Amino acid sequence: MNRNAPPRDADAEAVISLNSVWKVFGARSEEAMAAIQKENLTKPEVLARFNCVVGIADVSFSIRRGEIFCIMGLSGSGKSTLVRHINRLIEPTAGSITLLGRDVMALSGREVRELRANRMGMVFQHMALMPHRSVRDNVTFPLEVQKKPKSERWAISQRTLAMVNLEGYEDHMPAQLSGGMRQRVGIARALASRPDILLMDEPFSALDPLIRRQLQDQFLALSRRLNQTTVFITHDLDEAIRLGDRIAIMKDGRIVQIGTAEDIVSNPADDYIAAFVNDISTLSILHAEGVMEPLEKLELPAGTDMASLPCVAPDCPLDQLVALAAETENPIIVSDETGKTIGVVTRTALLNAIGGRNAPTNGSANKEAPV
Amino acid sequence: MTHADTDAREEHGRDAAQLSDAVHPDAEHADPFGDVGAFLGERSRAFYVDKFRQIGRKPNFAVTFNWTAAILGPFWWSARQLFGIALIFWVLELNILARLAHGLFGDLGAEQAARAEQLMERSAERAAEAARALAAGEDGADRMAQSAENLAKVATEAAAEAERLAAEAPQLVVISLVLLALVKGIQLVAANWILEDKYMKWRARRSSDAIIRLPTVLMTGGLIAVTYLVTALSRVTSQPPPWLFNFPADPEWRNISSTAIDDLFDWITARGGLVFDGIITAINGVVGMLEAFLSGTPWPVIVALIVVLAWRTAGFRTAIFTAAALFYLGLLGFWEKSLATVALLGTAALTSIVLGIPIGIWCARNARVYAIIRPVLDFMQTMPAFVYLIPVIALFGIGKPPAVIATLSFGMPPVIRLTALGLKSVPEDVREAAMAFGATQLTVLLKVDLPMAAPSILTGINQTILMSLGMVVIASLIGAEGLGQDVLQALQFAATGYGILSGLAILFCAMILDRIVQGRISKD
Repeated sequence: MNRNAPPRDADAEAVISLNSVWKVFGARSEEAMAAIQKENLTKPEVLARFNCVVGIADVSFSIRRGEIFCIMGLSGSGKSTLVRHINRLIEPTAGSITLLGRDVMALSGREVRELRANRMGMVFQHMALMPHRSVRDNVTFPLEVQKKPKSERWAISQRTLAMVNLEGYEDHMPAQLSGGMRQRVGIARALASRPDILLMDEPFSALDPLIRRQLQDQFLALSRRLNQTTVFITHDLDEAIRLGDRIAIMKDGRIVQIGTAEDIVSNPADDYIAAFVNDISTLSILHAEGVMEPLEKLELPAGTDMASLPCVAPDCPLDQLVALAAETENPIIVSDETGKTIGVVTRTALLNAIGGRNAPTNGSANKEAPV
Repeated sequence: MTHADTDAREEHGRDAAQLSDAVHPDAEHADPFGDVGAFLGERSRAFYVDKFRQIGRKPNFAVTFNWTAAILGPFWWSARQLFGIALIFWVLELNILARLAHGLFGDLGAEQAARAEQLMERSAERAAEAARALAAGEDGADRMAQSAENLAKVATEAAAEAERLAAEAPQLVVISLVLLALVKGIQLVAANWILEDKYMKWRARRSSDAIIRLPTVLMTGGLIAVTYLVTALSRVTSQPPPWLFNFPADPEWRNISSTAIDDLFDWITARGGLVFDGIITAINGVVGMLEAFLSGTPWPVIVALIVVLAWRTAGFRTAIFTAAALFYLGLLGFWEKSLATVALLGTAALTSIVLGIPIGIWCARNARVYAIIRPVLDFMQTMPAFVYLIPVIALFGIGKPPAVIATLSFGMPPVIRLTALGLKSVPEDVREAAMAFGATQLTVLLKVDLPMAAPSILTGINQTILMSLGMVVIASLIGAEGLGQDVLQALQFAATGYGILSGLAILFCAMILDRIVQGRISKD
């Protein structure tokens, strides 16, 4: 993953942005919403007073073009509900949603359907293929909705199925395929109309671990090639870390923390996230940048000079740092591309990082405040 | 490691904690009967905790006694909301108590004894007459004496019978007492055991309401007490008041109601004449068209058409069966009538399908509509077929159109039900997926819902056809032509052979249609 390279399309416009989106389920949702905004009720209070369930509470984020944005949370945390707001399969009770510069809430029914057909693709946890249609007809369903001629549909289905390594399966029925293959058909279907936005609702959760790993790799390669903006729902933190440029962690309908994997692992916003992160091995997630300390901390041992110290780039992963530290007693210097020294990794800092204790430095710089 | 593993570790920790509890089952914090008080009231808490513990220690059934339950019987059960069990013991106890009362106070030989007395009197009278006649020297005096003697004999027999019956009373009492003891005994040992089961279910429901509620106790207790009293009342005297056994009925009430319904139908036919005429014309048109097509086509063409259809949809074997069945109809002279039946049936089935599928779709999409339509469908299917004919005749007269309408109302429910069922069982995520790719409601219906519900809908169509065929004989009662008429005639003249042959003809028609539609379903 190229998360340490400069972000693709630097300063690109926000493709998806949600602003203080709320969803309250129940017959008296409007009333409940008004009360929530006025009196700041808690979830159980809303349930007791209005018999309404708060599905999404005050969620805001924006996603850049080309970014893979993971929304991670346990079941019932509202992540699947949230992703359905983006294509308006579920209507928010309050808040605004902007997609590709357009206010989704202001669109007519026809415009929403056009947006779904042309600009968005969606992948479902249980594939949701149509059992009565062949693989080809499943893949080209979005094009059929757009009334594309058959010849074009056939060509596109061939091309798209090739992208997910399923050439030759056009005329099979979904029931004849394995779970992993079916989900690749699901991905091909989502990609068929070349959408700008890909919504993936726990696409790999129902697959066994080996197949899941394989599909994650395929998906990453594909995503890098197509430069699509992806919202990826998962309940698995490992998956979120592997795939996500940024990760949003949800609990009880709220986003608790948004940040890169490194931010979240090194600076969990609260105990809830800390408990999750506890088991994540820091070795492959943290980088020199995340564990380094300011240069002032450097205490040069007598008789050594700066130039003789080992020197690494800011994105040097922790495991390489450990290997280096094993060879030398001295601290390790971190310098950027221009050769400018920007920090120092001491043994203490390194051991603390491996032990899972927070590096005392700049980790919280780009962490967004929890909602 | 994932959070799932974290969870698993915590789970493991909890298991370990529970394991250490299991070593000391009576430890205070592991008490599984902690809320027995909340369930049954604090006063009986100690008693039941003890009993439930005893039950818990035995792998199978533990014998524990509950004298209150045994004595109160159905009152005890119903107060604890065990109504099913209360009902069983209520019926048993009521029966036994009635016999007991009968034996104790019923004065069993009373009737016979009264008769014996009466006969004795008559015999004495007769004897006196005979004596008088003998004294007067009249003829027949010895005849009278004979009669008196006979009467006396019958009277003695009756007296003996009365004695025997009276002697039976103690026997009845003893049997009743034994049965009562048995029933009470069952309640004595079963009460705690059943209540414990109820308690476990109550815990699982996480209800915090006590099981004994005053309104329930008063209501069910009062009801049981009243039934006991009334039964006792009817059994302790040998002549119970007649109003206890005759339902207070008044034929006038029925007359008024039926006249009102007559008036209603008169009113409807008077006002809606045009509508009914329109329906009759439409049905006649469709039936006529089908009949003209069927009887206007040479029979070899029809046979070939149906056999090929059977072959294509259901395979070679069905095709052979179909050909044989068609020749049965033709060779035994049922051809014309079969065509008439098929025309009638076709109209009814087609109308059922054309109306039924959209109604089914509507029902699947709108819960409120289904809530209204479902009882109507139940009504249509439960109503005995003959009863349909009455309002249909009132509104449409006799002939083919009312036959079609009667068949229709019987045959339409399955297609509505199965269409609704099929559409409802389309997985929600597949529909959602279609919508996520920009499909309209109509596209979802046509390309997702209906294709996926097709097997269910076809089953509905099949059922509709078969049920309609079942109405053929009944429809012939109101003048529908066809195979049903033959069966009806055979029935009237007790023509066994002919009746069976016509019945078989109907069966074959049904089987051909069924096989062809079934073949279509399994192909999907």
